[in-house]
Amino acid sequence: MILRYDGTFEGFLTLVYEVYHQKYKPQLIEKPSLHPKLFDEAIEIEYDGSKSQKVLEAMRQKWSKQDIQRVMHIFLCDTKAFELDLLNYIKLGFKNAKELQNINNSSVFFINNLEKELFRHYHRYSGFLRFEELEDGTLYAKIESKFSLVYLLGRHFSKRFNNQNYIIHDIDRSLAFVKIGDSMDVRQVSEFEEPLRSASEEKFQHLWQTFFDSIAIESRANEKLQKSLVPLVYRKYMSEFE
Amino acid sequence: MKKDIYAKMQILSDSAKYDVSCSSSGSDSNYKTGELGATHNSGICHTFSADGRCISLLKVLLTNYCIYDCAYCVNRSSNDIPRAAFSPRELANITINFYKRNYIEGLFLSSGIIESENHTMELILRVLKILRFEHKFNGYIHVKLIPGSDEALIAEVVRLASRVSSNIELPSDNSLKLLAPNKTKEKVLQPLKIARDLSLERDNKAIGMSTQLIVGATPESDFDILKLSSVLYDKALLKRVYYSAYIPVNDDKNLPAILTKPPLVREHRLYQADWLLRFYGFSYDEILTSQAPNLDEELDPKTMWALSNLHLFPIEINRASKEELIRIPGIGVRGAHKILKARRFKKLGFDDLKALKISIKRAQYFITCEREFQREIALYPENIRAALIKPEPKKQPSLFDVSGITGEL
Repeated sequence: MILRYDGTFEGFLTLVYEVYHQKYKPQLIEKPSLHPKLFDEAIEIEYDGSKSQKVLEAMRQKWSKQDIQRVMHIFLCDTKAFELDLLNYIKLGFKNAKELQNINNSSVFFINNLEKELFRHYHRYSGFLRFEELEDGTLYAKIESKFSLVYLLGRHFSKRFNNQNYIIHDIDRSLAFVKIGDSMDVRQVSEFEEPLRSASEEKFQHLWQTFFDSIAIESRANEKLQKSLVPLVYRKYMSEFE
Repeated sequence: MKKDIYAKMQILSDSAKYDVSCSSSGSDSNYKTGELGATHNSGICHTFSADGRCISLLKVLLTNYCIYDCAYCVNRSSNDIPRAAFSPRELANITINFYKRNYIEGLFLSSGIIESENHTMELILRVLKILRFEHKFNGYIHVKLIPGSDEALIAEVVRLASRVSSNIELPSDNSLKLLAPNKTKEKVLQPLKIARDLSLERDNKAIGMSTQLIVGATPESDFDILKLSSVLYDKALLKRVYYSAYIPVNDDKNLPAILTKPPLVREHRLYQADWLLRFYGFSYDEILTSQAPNLDEELDPKTMWALSNLHLFPIEINRASKEELIRIPGIGVRGAHKILKARRFKKLGFDDLKALKISIKRAQYFITCEREFQREIALYPENIRAALIKPEPKKQPSLFDVSGITGEL
C-alpha cells in the first residue's frame, strides 16, 4: 500500500489520523510528485485541519515539548525519505511516550540521528554562510543546502545582527528569511533580480581573501584535511575559495 | 611609503599565524536588542585555512614592530622583515565589516611590543573601547595581555574582553632564560594572575583565560608539559592550554635547525592527553610518570593508559558507571551517553553497539557485553598492542581474480 500526502507537517498529521482510523498499513509514503504516473496506486491523503489538530493535541498531552519539536524538525529535512520511520516513531510514542527514548528501536534511532544531522548542517552553515552588503546596507546571503535551513539560520542571526536588516535566500526552495527593522518572517520568493552590492563590498572581500591566504602555515599545509572540514558543496558562496 | 591596507593585512596576519588558539567557545549568548554581535557557547568555525585549522576569529597583530628579541619568534627585533601597524580605528572597522559578512566570530588581538608595554596595552584597549562602546559590539574578543604592563590597564582590558591570554611559550624557566631574554616565567604569568584574581573577587562569571606552550623547541618531556598544564588548569584556573608544534622560523644555535619538521604527531598526542585531563577525569600522573615521561606516538594516550592498567579491564558495558565507560579506549563521551541511554531498555550485546554506531574497533579488547567478549586476542598488553597497531590488511589480488584484467585475454 502506498500513501501520498502534501509534504507538510500538518498534512502528515492528517495522514497519521487516517492510518489510525482507516487501519492503513503503508509500505511506502510519498510526497507529491511532479510527474503523474501511469499506474498510480497511491491513496491520496487530503489535508484536513481538524484531523491534524486532533493528532497534534494528542501529542501535546502525551509527549514532552522536545519530542514534538523533533517531529517538526524532521520536516526541515525535506530531501530525505523519513516518512515510514516517522510514522513508526509517532505510533510508538502514542503507545508509550517513554519508548521515544529507546534508541535500540531502529525508527527512534533513525529519527534521532536525522535530527542530529539537521543540527550539524545548521551549525556548519551558521559559520559558512556569507553575507554581502547591498547598496542600502542590507546584508544579503544566498544558500543552497540539502535541508531547509532559512528558518533556523534566520533566528540564529537575529541575535547577532539585531540592529541590521538582512535576507537569507534559499535558492533551490525559493524561500527567504527576511528581517527588516523589527519584523522577521519566511517568505516565498516569486521573482528575483540580482541586487546591487555596496561600494565597499569588493574591498572587504579582497581583504578577507588576503587574510585567509596569509593566515595558513605553509609547513603544515593539509589540503585533504581542509577538504574534509569544508567539503566542496559548501564552498559555492564562500569568496575565500574562489 | 605608506602601506596600503591589503599589505598591512598580509603582514599582520602572517605575523599572528603561529598563535594556535582560535576558539570562540565557552561564552554564553549575550546579545542585546538594538546592538551588534553575540557569542555562541559551542563556538563557530567560519572557514578552514589551507593547513586545516579552524578560522573563527580575525587573528592579527596590531603591529609587528617589537622591542623584544625572543629567539623563537619571527617578529624578534633583530629580524629584517617587513613591519606594519594598524591604527585602532582601522582595525575596529575591519572587524565590524568582517563580522557583518559572517566571516568571523570576532577578533583575536595580539601585538608586538611597540615603544613600551604600557603603550602597547593602551593601543589594544583603544581598539576594545571603539568596538564595545562605539560599535556596540558584543561579539567575541580575545586579547593577548602584554606582560609587564600596569595592573590597572590589564584590569580594564579584562573587563571588556571575552577571553584573555598570555603565552608561556616555553615550559620551563631555563628555556625561557635561554631563548627569551626579555621574559621570565614570573613576568609572563603576571597578567594571568591579575585576571584570575579579578575573576575570583567578582561574583559574576569567571574570565576565560588561556595560554600556549611551544612543543619541541626545548628539551622538556611530555610529562613536564602535562604537569604544567594540570597546574595551570587547577591553580591558575585557565580554560585552555594550547600546544604548538615548534616551527623553526629563525636560525639560532639554541634552537632546532630551520629544516626540522614540526613535531605534529607529538602535538596531536598532547592535545589528546589534555582532553583526558579536562573531560575524562584523568590526572597527569595517571597518564605519564617521570620514569616513562613521553606519550606513545603509535597509540593514543587513553589506550596507552589502559594497556598499563589492564587489571581494571575488561569492563562490563551493561553495568559500568559513566566514569568507567569513558575510560574505555575508543569510547568517548558521546558513545558513553548512547550506552547509558540504550541500556535502560535492554541488555546490550556487541550487535546492539554496532546498531548504535559505536565503533568497537579499539574497545572490543577492553569490554564484555554480558557473556560476549572477543576471544581472538589474549588479554596481555603486548598482544593487544600488536593487534591495535597492526596495519589494515591489504587486499591481495587472488590468483583467480580477473577484475583487474582489462583488454583482450
